[in-house]
This record gives sequence, structure tokens and C-alpha cells, in this order.
Amino acid sequence: MTDATAVLLPADGSSFRLASYVGRGGYAAARTALLSRTPQQVMDEVKKANLRGRGGAGFPAGSKWSFVPQQDERPRYLCVNADEGEPGTFKDRAILTRNPHLLLEGVILTSYAVGIHKAYIYIRGEYEAIARRLEASIEEARREKFLGTGIFGTGFDLEVIVYRGAGSYICGEETALLESIEGKKGWPRLRPPFPAVVGLFRAPTVINNVETIANVPLVVRQGAEVYIARGLPRDGGTRLFGVSGAVRRPGLYELPVGTPLRRIIDEWAGGPAEGQTIKAVCPGGLSAPFLTPDELDVAMDYESLALAKSMLGSAGIIVVGDRTPMVDVLGIVARFYAHESCGQCTPCRIGTTWIRKIVERIACGCGKPGDLALVGRLAEGMKGRTLCPMGDAAAFPVLSIVGKFEKELGDLIPR
Amino acid sequence: MAEVNIQIDGRALRVASGTTILKAAERIGIVIPRFCYHPAFEPEGSCRMCLVEIEGLPKLDLACSTVVREGMKVWTSTPQVLQARQDVLEFFLADHPLDCPICDKAGECYLQDYYDRHGRYGSVFLEAKEKKSKLVRIGPRLLLDRERCVLCNRCVRFLQLVTKTGELGIFERGVRSEVGIDAGAEIRNNYSGNLVDICPVGAITDRDFRFKTRVWFMENSRTVCPRCSRGCAIVIQWSSGYPLRGDRRKVYRLIPAENPDVNGWWICDYGRYDYPDIEENRRTRITVNPGSDDAPPRPSWGSVLKGMAGEIRALTEAGREERISVVLNSFLTNEELALAQKLLSGALRVRSLFFADPLPGQADGYLLTAERAPNGQGAAALGFKRELPDAGRLAASTDLLIVFGPYLAEHFSPEAYASCLNRVRRKYLVSAHKTGQDAAFDVILPAAVPAEKKGSYTNVQGLTQSFEPAFPAPGDGLPEAEILARLAPELEVKPE
Amino acid sequence: MSFVLSAGAEKRVDEIISRSPKREAALLPVLQLIQREQGFISPEAVAWTAAKLGVPPLRIGEVLSFYTMLRRKPAGRYVIQVCRNISCVMAGAADLVAHLETRLAVKPGETTPDGKFTLLEVECLGNCDHAPCLMVNDDDYGPVTRDRVDALLKELE
Repeated sequence: MTDATAVLLPADGSSFRLASYVGRGGYAAARTALLSRTPQQVMDEVKKANLRGRGGAGFPAGSKWSFVPQQDERPRYLCVNADEGEPGTFKDRAILTRNPHLLLEGVILTSYAVGIHKAYIYIRGEYEAIARRLEASIEEARREKFLGTGIFGTGFDLEVIVYRGAGSYICGEETALLESIEGKKGWPRLRPPFPAVVGLFRAPTVINNVETIANVPLVVRQGAEVYIARGLPRDGGTRLFGVSGAVRRPGLYELPVGTPLRRIIDEWAGGPAEGQTIKAVCPGGLSAPFLTPDELDVAMDYESLALAKSMLGSAGIIVVGDRTPMVDVLGIVARFYAHESCGQCTPCRIGTTWIRKIVERIACGCGKPGDLALVGRLAEGMKGRTLCPMGDAAAFPVLSIVGKFEKELGDLIPR
Repeated sequence: MAEVNIQIDGRALRVASGTTILKAAERIGIVIPRFCYHPAFEPEGSCRMCLVEIEGLPKLDLACSTVVREGMKVWTSTPQVLQARQDVLEFFLADHPLDCPICDKAGECYLQDYYDRHGRYGSVFLEAKEKKSKLVRIGPRLLLDRERCVLCNRCVRFLQLVTKTGELGIFERGVRSEVGIDAGAEIRNNYSGNLVDICPVGAITDRDFRFKTRVWFMENSRTVCPRCSRGCAIVIQWSSGYPLRGDRRKVYRLIPAENPDVNGWWICDYGRYDYPDIEENRRTRITVNPGSDDAPPRPSWGSVLKGMAGEIRALTEAGREERISVVLNSFLTNEELALAQKLLSGALRVRSLFFADPLPGQADGYLLTAERAPNGQGAAALGFKRELPDAGRLAASTDLLIVFGPYLAEHFSPEAYASCLNRVRRKYLVSAHKTGQDAAFDVILPAAVPAEKKGSYTNVQGLTQSFEPAFPAPGDGLPEAEILARLAPELEVKPE
Repeated sequence: MSFVLSAGAEKRVDEIISRSPKREAALLPVLQLIQREQGFISPEAVAWTAAKLGVPPLRIGEVLSFYTMLRRKPAGRYVIQVCRNISCVMAGAADLVAHLETRLAVKPGETTPDGKFTLLEVECLGNCDHAPCLMVNDDDYGPVTRDRVDALLKELE
């Protein structure tokens, strides 16, 4: 990856500055698009590139944009999801820290394509230092007339606002994010209607993950064909794979979509940590089903992982070493979702805490026969029944751990 | 209005486009269980109890919010649906306290009813339940039990959308979520009682009703509230017999009945909490005050009405009907007023017909009207002028006064009232209640309250609503219609 | 006790309100601003914000109780948030917390009597490749060892 314009994370330390970004060819694609392409052309290019959302759900970005009704007098909004709360995920932090102008250029292109003049970047409250850096970058761009009124000398206006979260994982869910920006609790909304039609302040809204938007300039710059070729036909481009846990070289690795998981862990992340073997891997952030060591030859793309009964999600690869008891992993999973449940709908509100309590009992030696089966049944009870996808997110890892590590967990339960 | 053809449980039906599955199912008598859904509000979608199967879709969908489409096939009782219902119910009950033996809501509780119909599983919950406050005073009449609360959000939405007072909110998150109120704040609006009705469980209870009886001991009698001119549909809940002793009859509470044309699903507190009026301070015996000419040991209706008719005829046959004054009120039904009109104005040619109703109050901008009687419109429609008498002129011009209801006294100072009555030779009072001013009357006849009457009222909107008696008047009491009907033959005029 | 904000903060509040399509949508940024300046959100701050934004105090109470980073009570000068999620736990977060408990003589959730440190256990901070990680106010630290913790506490004297 020597083409500095083609990567999400450039190597040099000053890459976050506007001058550095422009020097690498930054903002050229946005300028060209606003000066000599139509919004529809930009949207079509993104659609052709099969750019899929990088937040977790993997919905094709271009399609999502096209759901915004064009014959509509209401103002439109873009919300960039920088809430990054999915455990095991730290890629958006890197883009925001090292290449914020790539994101901003993506915001310009996306807004132009959909007809948006106000964009919010919803950043988790814990990223305060990054938020301040981002606001400085926005100020840089404004001074150059890359943002604000009359961008690039055209009639296109775009205001970008950095909006901080305040400690709530569920605000990374797109409709809870909208509620949060509106000054309310992060309670996800009932759908339909979908945000593209009824979103922020009841107006049409596009919500995309940071990495998704950051890819838009790459798509427009390289063209859809080149972009796709760097990944897979139905899932174009590269992704930032974050590897953490029991590996020698935890970190972010920008690789083509479809790179095999085992390669990422062994070749890029240096394999399992000293003195450990791999016991389990969660490939897509904690909300994905865990994989066993013999399931790691799967390609890291949406389809392949779905076939392997897991998911690409946020591509946050968490490697569990053999030194870590699975009951501890299960305990963290259970506690995390119970803590983050917004409480609005019954299965998640009650189910997550019920599961947590059972797992706590098992962990301290007070498990009873039937507990594991019950945990599995409760997770099934949440799956597909909740108001927002967090019910599934809470259920998937639990079901996979209880299903694939039955013996290890069962050994903790006195007969 | 466009219509769509759908199937529910194999049954075909046509409904207006835009109808939800839940409402469409109700049309054919299929009631889908729910907690958070209430017809007064937009679908909430949080309880997850109403999940149903739509043919062709892998996941279950909410009946409350999913709008039907042409050709949609819905199944409300497949194994998948029944399992989902049971699972959601199990989640609800897992963190619900075992309060049934001490909870007022028993017998009309959604959790109980649904467990009976859709649950019937053995509980496997072994953990410690979440402990929360069980006796939170959220208003002068309302108590909140947070452990029982199922977080359906109905109470919050009612106060936001109906009364627009917003006293309640939901605080915290996850399993620690709880309904709460601002420190020191209270729910003091005129519709607070409805919160108890819409709460599907015993989380919000009414201090007035708390621990008094079990709902299955109560009868339900639908009638029209007489406390103002709105005419809200109400249900009187009362019992006689077990567990009451002897032939006691007790009214426990009033709850709204649904009436889309008048009060929707609600009633105001002013009307709701006035049910003691049905039983307190009631006149049950004919009273003939000492010092008057005829004082039989225990007067009967027959003897008293005969005497009354005699006195009336003495005046009318002497051509002195102008010496008779009658004060009516707007608690009389249309039928009673028509009868009074035929009898008094028509047959007897009594000209001095007045009205005395309770003093008007403040309208609340929603249901409660300023007028505090139920049939002012009915009286006006019949041509009554509904004027108060002038005390002095009444005294000077009247030899025989018949007053219906206890409201005349409210309009005069005690001195003026007493002095007026003292100057009238013969005074009859027809009243359901005892008041301090009654001693001035020569004969007092016990009447029925509206709950004990059959008839109709015309409300402030001009809507005429009929109602049946919930029970008879206590003791010797009679509805005014009956009194007038018995008086008529004594006057030798046909009541027609 | 009346509520007073610095002139700069008041100006910021007005700026935030002016660029909000709806006044009430300024709630979170305004609360965050108040907390930055005063360390927490007092009942007086709630009343002031309610009046300023036309938002019922009840709603502000709901929001305060929902978001973990909004505080209704003062915290220490340095808020130490230690991640207790999966990658950090695997890297030894539990030991880190135990060490901090000993050093500071407080349990997670508590503030030292001298008002200097608040120790919190939090969920994933998005810094998993530097596990075990923690934050001190707005600053990230990771990977953190016991020694690093000791050095840090010394720096924050």
C-alpha cells in the first residue's frame, strides 16, 4: 500500500494536518465532484463500489443514501457515527486521530451526493481529546473554504458539528444516536419509519460509521472499479482490522476485505501471545458469535462470516488465549450488555441481567445443572424479539460461548 | 378510503389501508396480548408481547405497529408466536414481585391474565430480584410500586400527551429503569385517577381503593356521570352480599367506560372521586316535620302524595295556581323533566317554575365543564328557562313550594334562605341527600340519585345518552319520575 | 445558592443553542459544558438549564440518570477510568484495579477523601490494542503496568 492517497491510515505523524492531507491529494476529489459532477453521479459511484457500512451492520452505503426521498422540502442531515463503543473496536479512533481530513472530505462528498447541508459527527464522550482535535481540523477546513458557506467557491453550504456522547454504548445504535443528538436519552426508535425518511428532528437522515464515510473519498478518487478490486466484488475496498487480546502485536491492520482471519492473526498480529495458544476468537467486535480455533480459516467479509455463523461486524478481532477461562469471557459479555441495555424493551432489559446473574453464580461455584441450558434459552428468547439490534448483539456471543464451550463451562457446575 | 384484503389466522377480511394488524384482528374478535399498546396513543413497541407471525417473513413482527398490506397473511397462534409470548411473559415475571396476595390489581391484572392464557410454565428464575421502592407517593391519591412496574410507559405518555403536564419520566437504564417524578413534585391534575386504570399491573394504585376489596366481588354497572354537563360514560363498581354483611350495599369506585363520542377513555377526578355522593348522607325515609298538621306515625308514599295533591288542588281549583312555586334541577332526566312539564306547566298551569343547580365551577379545558349538573342542555331543549327564584319575591308570592334537590340553599345566604322559607306556608322538599337546611321543610321525600335512575341526559355537546339504574334507591327512596307518576293520579290529571 | 457560569461559558452556551435546530437539542452539550466548568451538574444547574432551554427539569433528570459520564455529584480532580472489558481484562485489568484500590485506598466508584482521585471501572474505552488501558480525565494511557500507575500517580501530585 504505497499510494498515500489510497490508504485510510497514512504512516506519517503529521498526516492529521490539513496541509499534509492536501499535499497527498486530499480534497481534490471533493472539489472535482462539487465543481463538475452531479450528486447523482457521486451516489452512483459509491453504489457501484459496493461500499458496505463499517459500523457493524454492513448495509451498502449507496443504497442507504438512495432511501432519502429527494422530492422533499425538509432539511436533510448526515450523522457520522463515531461512538465506537463495540468492545474490541478502535479503528475510528485511529482515523479521527491520524486522518481526520479524509473523514471530512468523505462528509463533503456524502453530503453533496444526498443534498445535506448539516452534518453531525457523534463522537463518544470518552474521545474528548480526539473531539477537540477534530474541531480544530474542521476549523482548518473552514478557513480554506472546504467547509462552511460556498465550499470550493460553489453554492454548496455544509456545516459540520462535533457532538459528544456521554457514556452510553447504545448511542452507537443509529436511532439511539439520533435521540441523543435531540437531547434525550438514548432510547432506540421503533422502525419503520427508517431514518432515511424520518430521522434527526424527524427529517431525512443518513447515518454512517466513520470508516464508511472515510472510504468515500477513496471510492471517488480511485473510481468504483479500482476500489472494488481492492476487496471483493460484493464488498469492496479495504478495512481496518483491529486485533487485540492474546496476540503478540495488537493493532490496526488495513487489509483487503476478504483477507483470511488466520492470516490476520498469525501474519499481521504476530500470532498468539507468548506461551499461549488460541482458545477462541471473536471476529467482529464483542457482539459477534465467537469462533473456535478450527474455524479461523474464514475470509473476513460479510458473506463468508455469515456462512460461518458469525459476523464481520466492526472487524474488531478479539483473540482469547488458553490462559483465559471462558467463564470470565462469558461474564464480561453478560455484564457488558446488562450494563448497557437502555431498558426500553422487555427481553433485553430483563434477559441481559438475568443472564448476568446466572453467569455470576456459575463463576463463583454456585452453578446448578440446567444453568447453561437456561442461559442459552434466555439468549434465544432475546434474539429477534427486541426493539433494536442490541438484543441480538447480546444474544450472539452468549449463544456461541455456551454452545461451543459447553464442556469447559459445565465443569464449573457442581453435579 | 382505500381498503386492503388480508388474512388473519386463515380468516379473510377487508380493512382500511393504514390499519395495524392489532386493530384488524380486533375487528374479528382476536385480541392480541399487549402491555404498552393503548388505543389512545401511537404504538410504542417496547413490551414485545404482541409479536405475531407474518407469512413469508423469518422474524416475528409487532401487531401493534405493523400496518397491513394487500395480501398479508398473519398468524397469531403458531408455535413460534406462542413461544415468543411465553418467553416475553417469562421475562416480565422474572423480575416481578410475588405480590398478588396483597396487590389491588389482582383479578384485573394483565400479567395474571396473560399468565393464565399464555404462560402456565414452571418458573426457573432462581436469582435475586431487583429491589426497588414499593411505596412511592407520586400524588395525593397515587402510590407507585416500582418493583411491580413493567415499564410499559403508559403513565408517562398519558401525562405527556393527554394532560400535557408531564409529571412522570423514566430514569436510569437497563434493569434499574424506574418511573420517577421530580423531587417534591406531585401529580395533582384533574385526570390522575386514569393512571390507575391504564396501568396494566398494580404498579400505580389508588389510595382510595387500596386494600378495600377484590375486584371479583364487584358488580359493574355502566351509567352516565352526573357531576357536570359532559356526561362521561362511567362504570359504577359496587357489591352487595359476600363479603359484605347483611343486606349492605357498597359502592367502591367509579371507572371510565369507553365512549369515543364524549370522553374517549378517560374521566376526570372530580367525577371519579365523587362516588361517595351515591351513599353518604342519603335520605331513606319520608320525613314529615313536627309542628305541621298531618303527622302520621310512619308516612307512606300514598298518604303523603295524597296530602300533597290535596294541597295543590286546593290552589289550582280555586284558580290560584300562581301561588304554587316549583324549583326543579338539571339532575332530572329528560323524561322526568318532560313529565314535570306536562304535569306542572301543562295540566296544572303552574307558571312559577324555577331551576336550582349546584354553583358552577371552573371548566378544566378538557372534560369537566363549568356547569356542574348533567342535564342543563336537556332542560333547555325542553324549553325551560332555568332561572333561580328571587328569594323575596318567592316568599311573597308562594303559598305552596315544591323544591327538587338540595341545591337551592347554595344560592342564598342562610339568613335569606331561612327567612324566605319561613314566609312560605307549605314547603315540600324532594331530595336524595340530607342537608342542614332541610328542617325548614314540612315534608321531605327521599329521591334517587342519578345512578339509581333510568332515563337520559343531554350533554353539553347536545348528545342525548340513556342509562339504566345500577341498583334501586335505598330505603323508601324513589326516582322523581316515579314520584311524579304517582302524584299524577292523585291530582286527577293524566300524566300521559 | 444561585447558579453562575463564566462569561465565556455563557457565550458558548448561546453559540450551542444558536446552531441547534431545536433549543432542547442543546441539552447534552450544555450539560457537558457545565460539568467541564463546575465538575458536576447541581440542582441549580438543572434549574438554570431547564429555564434556558425550555426543557422540563424532569427531562434533564432523566438524561442525567441515563448517561454514565454525567455527574450529579462532584468527582475528584482526576477521574481515573479503568477499562474492565475483554481485551483489557485479558491483559490484567483486574490486577490494575486492585493496585489502584490499594494505592488510593478507595473502591471503584469512590473518591479519595482529599478530593483528588475518583476511581471508576468502565466498559471498553476503544483503546484495545493498548490493553490494559485507562484514562485520567481526557487523557488515554495504555498499556499500563503497576509501575506506570505509580509513576502516573506521582505525576499527578
